[in-house]
This record gives sequence, C-alpha cells and structure tokens, in this order.
Amino acid sequence: MALLDMKDVRGGYGDADVLHGVSITVGEREIVVIVGPNGAGKSTAMKAVFGLLKVRGGSIVFDGEDITAWAPDRIVQRGICYVPQVDNVFREMTVHENFEMGAFLRRGDLSAAYERVYGLFPDLKAKRKNLAGDLSGGQRQMVAMGRALMLDPRLLLLDEPTAGLSPKYMEQIFQITRDVRDAGLSILLVEQHAKQALAFCDRGYVLATGANRHEGTGQALLADREVAEMFLGG
Amino acid sequence: MSLLDFLNFHLVPGIVLGSIYAVGAIGITLVFGILRFSHFAHGDMATLGAFIALALVTAGMGPWSALPIAMAAVAVIAIGVDKLFYDYLKARPKIVTVMASLGVALMLRAVVQVVFGVDPRTYASGIVRPDDYFGILLRDRELYTLAAVVAIVIGLALFLRHSRWGKAMRAMSDNPDLARLSGVDNRKVTMLTWAIVGALCAASGFMLGINNELHSMMGWQVLLPMFAAAILGGVGRVEGAVLGGLIVGIAEELSIFMLPAQYKAATAFALLLLILLVRPRGLLNGKVL
Repeated sequence: MALLDMKDVRGGYGDADVLHGVSITVGEREIVVIVGPNGAGKSTAMKAVFGLLKVRGGSIVFDGEDITAWAPDRIVQRGICYVPQVDNVFREMTVHENFEMGAFLRRGDLSAAYERVYGLFPDLKAKRKNLAGDLSGGQRQMVAMGRALMLDPRLLLLDEPTAGLSPKYMEQIFQITRDVRDAGLSILLVEQHAKQALAFCDRGYVLATGANRHEGTGQALLADREVAEMFLGG
Repeated sequence: MSLLDFLNFHLVPGIVLGSIYAVGAIGITLVFGILRFSHFAHGDMATLGAFIALALVTAGMGPWSALPIAMAAVAVIAIGVDKLFYDYLKARPKIVTVMASLGVALMLRAVVQVVFGVDPRTYASGIVRPDDYFGILLRDRELYTLAAVVAIVIGLALFLRHSRWGKAMRAMSDNPDLARLSGVDNRKVTMLTWAIVGALCAASGFMLGINNELHSMMGWQVLLPMFAAAILGGVGRVEGAVLGGLIVGIAEELSIFMLPAQYKAATAFALLLLILLVRPRGLLNGKVL
C-alpha cells in the first residue's frame, strides 16, 4: 500500500477551484516528482497534502489514515514535513537554531537527529553558528531541508527546491534528496526543471490546468513524445 | 564647565533617563517584531504599573520590593488587554489594532485618574543627597535603576537567545509562517510576549516615577521618546532598543546646550525624523513592516 494516496482531489485557496481532480501516490522510499507548465497546480497539489488548501472533494490518505482537511500542525505531528519554496529558513537565526526550531515539537535527546542532519549536510557543520540569512542560496536550501528533517518525518514535501539555484547546486540538491531517501524517507517534490527532475526521480506526474495529464516512471515520461513536446522543449 | 560637572549634571541623568527609555523601547520593539503593530497604550500601561507600585508602597512596602509585584500584575493585565481587545482584531488590518491600542491607552489612563487622582505623587518624600563615587555623584535610586535595567536587559537577552520559548519568540518575529509550520503555537507566543511587555512597561513606569514623580500623564509623555528609541535602534531589535534608548535619553539631556529647556521633548521628535530620513531601518537594520 502506498504511503501517501491522494485521490481525485479538488479544491482551491478561495472559492474557485485550482485543482480539478488530482491523484498522486507516493510509495515507501520513493522519490516522486510533479512537473507541469506554470499554473498547472503543481505547488497547489502539494499544499493540499499539507492542509494549506480548502479541499472540496476527493481524499488524502497517509499511512492508512485519512488526513483530508487536517490542520498543518497535526499533519506535521503525523510525520509529513513541508519545505516551502521561498522564505523557508529563519534568516536571523543561526543554522543550528534553525534545526532546533525544526525540532520544536520534539522532546528528549536530539543528538541523533543533529548527527543525521549534519551528516547529510557536512558543509553546514562549519557554518552552524552563522546566520541562515547570510548563507548562499544552495546552503540555505540545505538548512531548509535540514529543518524539516529534524522532526524525523516519513514523507518530505519539497516545493521547487532548486528554483534559482546554479546547475552545480541543483545537482547537489538532487543528490541530497537521494541521500534522504536512502535514509528511509519518501519524497514528493515539485520541480520547474522538468527534464533534470524526471531524469532523477523514481516516478513522475505531469499536471496541466489542475488535473493529471500523464504519469509513469521518470524515464518513461522523458521518452513520451507528447510530454516532450508539451514541457521539455521537444 | 568642568568635565565632572558635565558628567554629573548632564551625562549621568541622560544615561539614567536613557536606560528607562530603553526598557520601554524593548517592549515596543517586541510588540512591533512579533505582533506587528505599534502599541500606543505602551506609555499608559507604564503609568498603570507605576501606580500599582505606589499602591503597594502606600500599603507599607519598600518601593524596590513593590517593583516585581507591579511587574507581575501588569504582565497579567497586558495578557488580559490582549484577550479582551487586540485578539478580536487580529484578522483585521493592523491599523485597526493600532487605533484600538490608542483607545486602550485612554482607558488605562482614565482608570489611573479615577483611582489615584490627577495630582502628582511620589514614592518617598524628602530630599535625597547623592553619594560621591570618585567625583561622580549618584543617588541610590539612580544606581538601583541602572542595576535593574542591566539585569532586565541581560536576563531578557539570555532568555531570547537560549530558552526554548525565547527562540520561539524570535522565530515568530523572523518568519511567522515557518514558525507555524514548525509547530510553534502562535497563541502561546502571543501570551508570553504580552507578559514580558507588560512587565517591562511596569518597570519603566516605576523607574520614571522613582527618579522623578508620578502623574497620570507620565507614560503618555514618554511614548514618543520610547518609539523614537525603538525606531532609531531598528524595529524588532532588542539590542537596538537599548542603544536607541540611551541615545535618545542622552540627547534630550544634552539638548539644553543648544535649545531652551522647554524644547527638550522636541529632541526625540527631531531624532525620529532624522533617522527616518537617513536610515529608515534604524541603526541595527530592523524590520520593514
């Protein structure tokens, strides 16, 4: 059974629907990517999972439990963490304090969690006392992911983690995403860089105008002519 | 004028006044940074704290032992004011809350005037001679004021830097959406902020009163210099509020070299205009709201 099972979800921010029936599943230890043109509802679909949207139809089941219309703080406790696309770090707090805030809901010994995060992002160990706002874009993205990992989630939602990053950092973020998966997590991410993202994910979904258009393994989608013509520039 | 005269008659009073402004400005900057509005009832909340301490002194307590009780009382009152008034307006544009705080200011002042009257009062009567510290003349109350301000600032800084809820307050000030995503309970942070702000109000009102006299307009009259101090230091910056407070206090005391004494109060206003003109984010780069 899939870890996350989103079925025919409809809804939006206000009265108008942005999603007109989106279905996405994420299995254990799977990297799933959502791609699509601007305005396709990619980020909106992800926000629906995290309870940031008025869901008016369909269902979202996580680990066998229906979490449709749960509040974000309850969803966090259940094991899903979300990394927003922008403003995803506490700029005026140090790297280490960002991680501490990530673990705000956790009590007890956190040394294993810190070890894991600094193990995944060794670059940040030397910068643990720097303010997150002073770091480069790529490193800030690592802080954002690290903050989300501190709660030890089972599913990580990443909203365009490579937006605005240089190709070097993009490759690094993809590599880290794989490392996080290898550590036992499932990952759902929204990507603007469709070609690179499809090449690196396990499975992908192509959304258009708020609904599923194509789905399949990354390789299959890359090979699909229609997908290529639609989004990948031929 | 000798250097010692300058220190004793201008700089020391400036530092004492400035550190009182600092305590008020810290509260203003916390409300600005975390709750994101200008709290115009700040001065009158300070007046209320000063008069609660007066009631305790009248009942036979020493002024400095009345201070912590007055701080605790105003902390509770501040939480109550938030629950009764500001909390209802949180979904509305912030300017509505700002205007409501003006109403709360008038209300608190009216309560003080009804209960304690409108005549000036003091904690202790009689003239206190200053002690001589290597030529520097300091009264006990000035010494205690400075010590209390240092203790409050260090205590607050340690709390914000190292405690779990202090970090939550900073996180809420830094990035409220992300703080909520991290599971920080907005209501608890708001309550905690008001408790601290209320206590700081009471402390600043008490120290104004003990170094001069108490009257029902005392808090309202220092609202402008305290706001000037908070903005001068950078909105949302506790260190900035301390720096801003000292600068405004000292500038007010030194202004008599250039301006007639009646214009002392205009100094803070001039500083506020100047900083908004040349460095609107304040000396320590505060928030843009």
